[in-house]
Amino acid sequence: MHKLKKKQKKQSNRIVLFIFFAFAIFLLSNRVDEFRVYQGASVAMFVVAIASLILLTGYSGQVSLGHGALLAIGGYSAALTRNYLDAPVWICFAVAILVTAAFGAALGTAAARLSGPYLAGTTLALAVGLPSIANQFSVLGGEQGLVFYVGFPPMRLGEDFTQYKWFFWIAASTALISMWWLQNILRSRYGRTWRAVRANEVAAELAGIKIGRSKVLAFTLSAGLAGLAGALLAMTISHVFPSAFPLGLSFLLLTGAVLSGITTLGGVIIGAVALVAIPQIADAIAIGLGNSENVVANLPGFLVSALLILTVLFVPNGPVEQMRAKRDHKIALAVKK
Amino acid sequence: MNQMNRRRFLATCAVVACANLAVALVPAQATPLSMQVGVTKTEIRLGMTSPHTGAASPGYNKIPGAIKAYFDYVNVNGGVNGRKLTLLAEDDQYVPTQAVAKTNKLILDNKVFALVGTLGTANNLAIAAAVNPGRRGVPVLFVATGFSGFAVKKNFPTTFTMLPSYIMEAKIMAEYIRDNFAGKKLGLLYQDDDFGSDALVGFKQAGLNFDVSIAYASGAQGVSGVPATWITRLQSAGAEVVVLFGVSSATGAALATAAAMKYGPQWILGSVGGDATTLKAILGPTAAGLLFNAVSSSFLPSTTDTADEYIKLFQDIYLKAHPTQTFDNNVLVGMNTAFLTAQAIKAAGKNPTRKSLIRAIQTRGSTFAGAGLTPLNFSTTSHVGYNGFWFGKYSPAGDLLKPTGGYTMYTTDSGNGAIVKSTYVRPAMPVKGLPN
Amino acid sequence: MVQLINTILIGVTSGAIYSLMAIAMVLVWRSTRVINFAQAGLALLSTYIGYELIQLTGSYWIALPLAMLAGALISALIELLFMRALLKHTSQGPIASVAPIIATLGLLGVIRAMIGFIWGNQDLILKGPLSNVGYTIGSTTLAFSPLKLFIITWVVAVMVGLTLLFQRTNLGLSLRASAHSPEISRLAGVRVDFIRTIGWALAGAAGAAAGMLQTPNGIGSIFPDSLEFSLLLVFGFIAAVIGGLDSLVGAVIGGLILGLVVAFVLTYVGGSLVFMIAFALLIIVLIVRPQGIIGVKAGRRA
Repeated sequence: MHKLKKKQKKQSNRIVLFIFFAFAIFLLSNRVDEFRVYQGASVAMFVVAIASLILLTGYSGQVSLGHGALLAIGGYSAALTRNYLDAPVWICFAVAILVTAAFGAALGTAAARLSGPYLAGTTLALAVGLPSIANQFSVLGGEQGLVFYVGFPPMRLGEDFTQYKWFFWIAASTALISMWWLQNILRSRYGRTWRAVRANEVAAELAGIKIGRSKVLAFTLSAGLAGLAGALLAMTISHVFPSAFPLGLSFLLLTGAVLSGITTLGGVIIGAVALVAIPQIADAIAIGLGNSENVVANLPGFLVSALLILTVLFVPNGPVEQMRAKRDHKIALAVKK
Repeated sequence: MNQMNRRRFLATCAVVACANLAVALVPAQATPLSMQVGVTKTEIRLGMTSPHTGAASPGYNKIPGAIKAYFDYVNVNGGVNGRKLTLLAEDDQYVPTQAVAKTNKLILDNKVFALVGTLGTANNLAIAAAVNPGRRGVPVLFVATGFSGFAVKKNFPTTFTMLPSYIMEAKIMAEYIRDNFAGKKLGLLYQDDDFGSDALVGFKQAGLNFDVSIAYASGAQGVSGVPATWITRLQSAGAEVVVLFGVSSATGAALATAAAMKYGPQWILGSVGGDATTLKAILGPTAAGLLFNAVSSSFLPSTTDTADEYIKLFQDIYLKAHPTQTFDNNVLVGMNTAFLTAQAIKAAGKNPTRKSLIRAIQTRGSTFAGAGLTPLNFSTTSHVGYNGFWFGKYSPAGDLLKPTGGYTMYTTDSGNGAIVKSTYVRPAMPVKGLPN
Repeated sequence: MVQLINTILIGVTSGAIYSLMAIAMVLVWRSTRVINFAQAGLALLSTYIGYELIQLTGSYWIALPLAMLAGALISALIELLFMRALLKHTSQGPIASVAPIIATLGLLGVIRAMIGFIWGNQDLILKGPLSNVGYTIGSTTLAFSPLKLFIITWVVAVMVGLTLLFQRTNLGLSLRASAHSPEISRLAGVRVDFIRTIGWALAGAAGAAAGMLQTPNGIGSIFPDSLEFSLLLVFGFIAAVIGGLDSLVGAVIGGLILGLVVAFVLTYVGGSLVFMIAFALLIIVLIVRPQGIIGVKAGRRA
């Protein structure tokens, strides 16, 4: 009884926190200029995409080098729903989640039989192959892609409520809801199952966990989130194109996940902000280095990859986990004393 | 555990509250209304996105340098009404998401006055829809794509094209083929996207049918053996005249592989993939031999036609700024874009605004000087730039030559208009090639 | 008929190059149980070095073996200085299984950026040593030239060399033994760490050869973001999986199968579907015969 109450209290604490957080960022969106608001929408999109990868890789131990392909499926599903059924935006997002999750379930079934490197290579091949399908079927619009327009902000929000603020509101609330939902999933029975499998597959199997099923479920949910991120990405460019989902996008997302700390959801915002900020930081550094053409053009790519390597080498579990481990260590020491 | 959670919760609340306070204290940014965005007393800032890195960048990555070279030339000679022209060129890697993000940076953060020469069909579509320069009133000058859709004023109210559309090119090419190669078996290789489908529309419009047509996917060119399969198919179909309506890399691969398989039809190259120096950069010195006698088209004078006053001036300016580079068609297109831009800004008045700039192109754009050999078709109802082509053959050195009888221009439109021989005579270049 | 013959010839030539890339991946996999996604970057870097050597010596014939040597050296150094520390650092915890994948991916990016810093983003043309004009029989010209013959010969030579090394030398025995069970080999006195580095070096050489041969056979030029080399990586991986990831013979057969399938799809079906068919082939192999065509029975779980 006491335990239950405690749990409920924790839950309500978390809801309050999320609402407070939501309020804070919406307030923020009124205060910064339009460019930052747009970047905020991109950050929100990356939060969802990176969370999807963290769920898959960090919690269920499966690596995807082709998450861009899942984003593409989500983006195209949303655009097709919008264009052919004239559905409201939230339905388009729901369809994006469902279609991508269904695809993820199929892929996950094949993937559950594969260990890390096989899965990584397979998803890589998918990321290379999938976007070219758009050229094969005219309903997908070829290189020219499809329009995905979420519409003007509602009039009651005021005259000077910009399009980008509208994008940001949609993306940020979607990201918040997904994060809240994901938190709950990870604290549920499924989350514990994934952690058990990740920690020791054999022991988990002995404890009666169906490993295959647990992995497929993780893949399905992760794909659903990736589909949602794809729809958000399509929203921010108001289109879907095959060229919007290059191999580089998949690599970028993985980098974001590693920078966030691939084993915990806690740092997801770090990776998302880093992905948006790196190009600008690179510009500033390049100018400092004398603005040579070769340096300017290649510095962003270099920074992303170098950060990736350094993180894996020195803080393999990510900055947040590192800090937490340090603090726990300190507390343990204090308790001992 | 619970205690720790609460502590974390309180800490987060405190951080968020502080952040809010900090934000609330910063006054909302005030924009000075006295001067138009991107225009100061000494400078006019322009922005462009194009690929500097990535698979699509070779060739195209010379365009920003070309535009800057001409702007610098204008700046050294006093600028436009005393203001310097500055170009902020951003790398979009030919990825639409990047193009939108970088354009946002240019318009919202760098506060450019207008966009110039933004490159690529998909990228321009994404910019138009997401950033919506049309609604913001930001002029998009002389987009570097021949997709016919951008000339539709209703959809892209602030966008102006310069290149003749791919539909125009295909229509005129069909006319040329009928005049010169009647009765021959025809083959076509085209890119499997908007660029290629525009061409198909044009050929259909002109009523030309091919005996064999091969679509290639732009992403599949890196797969080895691909060009050999094109040539095998063209060869088996016995095509005697083959149109290559693709990008430079595909055109080069087709020519090289055909030579390797001793297949020698009459080649007709589209203007996008037919740039001689780009092909030479891809294929090496052998390109010259491969190109010899092939037919191609252009709307600007031949890059080797130094008797042309524009080519001479542009070559001088560019090679002074970039002594190690070659003056090619990408450079020429870039410099002509810069040339038209400078005139448009000059025509927009002493204190140009975005509105006055658009107005100036609409009302006076058709009189702008430029290297193009057809008139510019700008008016209050049309945002179409050049609308015609001439055809020529490549020399043994691999340069598209000015035909011995001079340039014969054909003009048409992107609809079902007729294809006509142009009688346009280009006016002389303004003094020193500076905006007048 | 000519079309059919040409399709087969095209498929065999590109298949031979995929085989080389697959061999590189198999060698690394056998020595460290890592899929080296940086292999494409290493091949590209070696090809750039080969380009510089051609400029310097004027001869492709000298540049090719030297580029392979350079590839071997760079690859060995990466194993020594980077992978070893990485694998030690991340051998435990949830990150263990994914760290090598992520690290080699990061390496790919760093190598590409370095190439961009040094050589810039322009095309560099790398000419083959022989004519690419096809042989003529009667009045028809085949899609098979002295250059393509040389490519196949060189690939076969590399394979014969590797076979001899693996079957006839003590080093080869150690390589096989430590791939099979590193712990027992260590106990038997094999210097497993050294052998691992050798495995990486051989892979670096094979990858360099793939790059040096692919470039004149393909688009003929190199630049930092070369799509051609990314595809080489993906196709090399697919070929390696078809062959079973553990088997050098399998890698060769996988490469040839993939090359032929791709060539037939291109000629008879169309360009847009190439990648999806390659992907489908991969999935079919993984589902129907997960140990690969020549794979040993041990599954691919864990």
